[in-house]
Amino acid sequence: MKKLSLHPLTWWIWAIALAIAVMRFDSTVFTISCVGAVAVIVFINRDDAPWGKSFNWTLKITAWILLIRTIIGVLIGVPIPGTTLFTVPILPLPDWMPGIRIGGTVTYERLSSAVTEGILICAIIVIFGAAASLTSPHRLLRVLPVYIYEFGISIVIATSVLPQLVTSVTRIRQAQKLRGQSLRGFASWRRVAIPLLEESLARSLDLAAAMDSRGYGVSKKRSRYRPIKWRGADSLVILSALVVVGLS
Amino acid sequence: MIKFSNVSLIYPNSTTTVLEDLNLEIAEGEMVLVIGPTGSGKSSLLRLINGLVPHHTGGILAGDVSVDGHSTQLVKPGAMAHLIGIVGQNPANGFVADTVEEELAFGMEALNLPNDVMRKRVEEVLDLLSLSTLRDRAIATLSGGEQQRVAIGSALVAHPKVLVLDEPTSALDPIAAEEVLSILHRLVHDLSLTVVIAEHKLERVIQFADRIVHINGAGIAHVGTPGEILMHSPIAPPIVHLARALGLKEIGVSVREMRRLTSDIRDRDFVPQKEFPHLVGDPIIHIKDLSVSYEGKHALKSVSATISSNEIVAVMGRNGAGKSSLLKSLAGISHLSAGSVDVLGLNPQHLKGKERRTSIGFIPQEPSDLLYRQSVQIECDQADKDNQIASGTTAQILQQLVSGISVSTHPRDLSEGQRLGLALSIVLSSNPAVLILDEPTRGLDYQAKKELTKILIEFARATGKCVVLATHDVELVAELATRVMFLADGDIVADGSTIEVLLSSPAFAPQVSKVMSPQPWLKVADVVAAIEAQQ
Repeated sequence: MKKLSLHPLTWWIWAIALAIAVMRFDSTVFTISCVGAVAVIVFINRDDAPWGKSFNWTLKITAWILLIRTIIGVLIGVPIPGTTLFTVPILPLPDWMPGIRIGGTVTYERLSSAVTEGILICAIIVIFGAAASLTSPHRLLRVLPVYIYEFGISIVIATSVLPQLVTSVTRIRQAQKLRGQSLRGFASWRRVAIPLLEESLARSLDLAAAMDSRGYGVSKKRSRYRPIKWRGADSLVILSALVVVGLS
Repeated sequence: MIKFSNVSLIYPNSTTTVLEDLNLEIAEGEMVLVIGPTGSGKSSLLRLINGLVPHHTGGILAGDVSVDGHSTQLVKPGAMAHLIGIVGQNPANGFVADTVEEELAFGMEALNLPNDVMRKRVEEVLDLLSLSTLRDRAIATLSGGEQQRVAIGSALVAHPKVLVLDEPTSALDPIAAEEVLSILHRLVHDLSLTVVIAEHKLERVIQFADRIVHINGAGIAHVGTPGEILMHSPIAPPIVHLARALGLKEIGVSVREMRRLTSDIRDRDFVPQKEFPHLVGDPIIHIKDLSVSYEGKHALKSVSATISSNEIVAVMGRNGAGKSSLLKSLAGISHLSAGSVDVLGLNPQHLKGKERRTSIGFIPQEPSDLLYRQSVQIECDQADKDNQIASGTTAQILQQLVSGISVSTHPRDLSEGQRLGLALSIVLSSNPAVLILDEPTRGLDYQAKKELTKILIEFARATGKCVVLATHDVELVAELATRVMFLADGDIVADGSTIEVLLSSPAFAPQVSKVMSPQPWLKVADVVAAIEAQQ
């Protein structure tokens, strides 16, 4: 299948619309099917570029967020009566914190409400992650007006350096493995984090210096070598998302 | 064109001045080469020209730098974009567009040039740098040499009067480097472009330079013609060392000049040297029908070889020939699609922890990937602990490799060579049988390279040890390798003793052999030994 070549803003507007729809529907079934659809679209349409690959990491990180969010949601908070699933020991809290407890009986209702909320949050992260991986940050920069130039530089740095980090993580973990270090546990991530942070800083500075020395932001007006046109396909994608919002 | 008047530069929190009272005037159409040890301030000097230093990096600047009458103190780097094109050390980090054409247009779009001008200039530059066939390609898929050309092209589209390049050939193979340099040479002669270039591998650029600025690291800079500077400079390409060793009155900076100066020496009757066969121990690494592919592309195609102890094997070839893939397979971190690798009878993919450290030591292209602690001292202690050896051993190895590193320094603040030294001493502290290095000489100066050569030769001399390194540096290979494996497109196309392989390929021949051909000498020491034997 031929990949769609869309305006860089299209997928972002589409993501905003979908996020609104998901929040308004507030139905787990709809949310999950929406995430599924988004994932399919990403896997079909993404470019073979660093930002394209970043979607896998979005999914991984979201799964972790969901897990942690669910555990916390079940353990801490207001008890909801209902069918008891299992009981965790209660942590005694001082008197001046009435209504809040840690541990206790876990009911089916409580578990399901925690999971539902978690899924909603994660769906929104996935939707924006999809927009980020479908749009080339470089093309996004070209359509942004120059008067938000500082903002433009930060956007390009954030969106082009971050995906490259994914490649760097793999490389650094390989090197650490060769030093005979274990790749499991929290400590292994700390070992990756420091070289990673250094590298991303160096990259960001390089990029900012390169953009600066090529005169980016000097002229308030910017000519277009090959203007990026808004086409029918763009309107269609956005229309489809708006229909979903309308239905919600 | 470029004028430095009484320029001094110091960075905050630093005790040494980078430049002190530098006066330098560069005329239009001149090609000036900046040399100096790593960390001496070459990059700072280059970035002073368009004001990235101090506008972008901080630092205190005294004196004045002006280009074509514009002082960098008064205008920001962006306002000089039409005047100065700058290509950074790592062009891949500075790309702002996805395809070659868009990248070329980016600077002109920022300067708000009309569309028809942009189209004309893009075509001009595509032709000038022979990039036309690549115009629609995604930049990420280009080879190192192609990326370097795109970076130069995107600096040239704004029609600058000055082009500044920071180590433009350090990541390139000899052939790609030659392409880039000959393009620069042509630009200087055809367009009277002023070019300022910093480079460690002098053997590649010296013949093109009109003048040299030599920074010694303590703020002092000497300016002069290549002949003047290289007569006494400790930083010199092999060709100059050859002239010094032969006691020539003048030095030649190109192979052609040197051949003219040494014709009488070459034509003497030399007793053919007795061949000393290199003593080789037992086989350590067996590679059998090894194939590696990434996403459907074959990086290695059915490669077989055996590497024995006491060998130093240099893996050479053009960018993308499969060198890194071979090294990674030896270290057990790439997925093999067919065939097998065994090191000391073990499969390197299954090695873990201490067993891995004692069998294979690997220095990746970025040695800093191995480093993650807060100071040199803590790194060394960590290595001692990991290997259960007496504390202080790693620090001692480090002192032997590179003396004078303060142990409290953060690894990030070390120079390129010092960082390699630290990574190397950590790897050596576990006493591995096989040492693998991927492009160890990127960004190293001659002094650091000499140290590295000594260390590796010593390492390989011990029983049961061998070294495998991938490199573009022909001169390094001539100095240390006992065997060269030449890869092309995933195949081993030549595998033999260093002298056989290097002499059979003109592009990969070291300078000394080009000067002394047809005599079979690779390095200065060979020439000296042969002359002594004759007398």
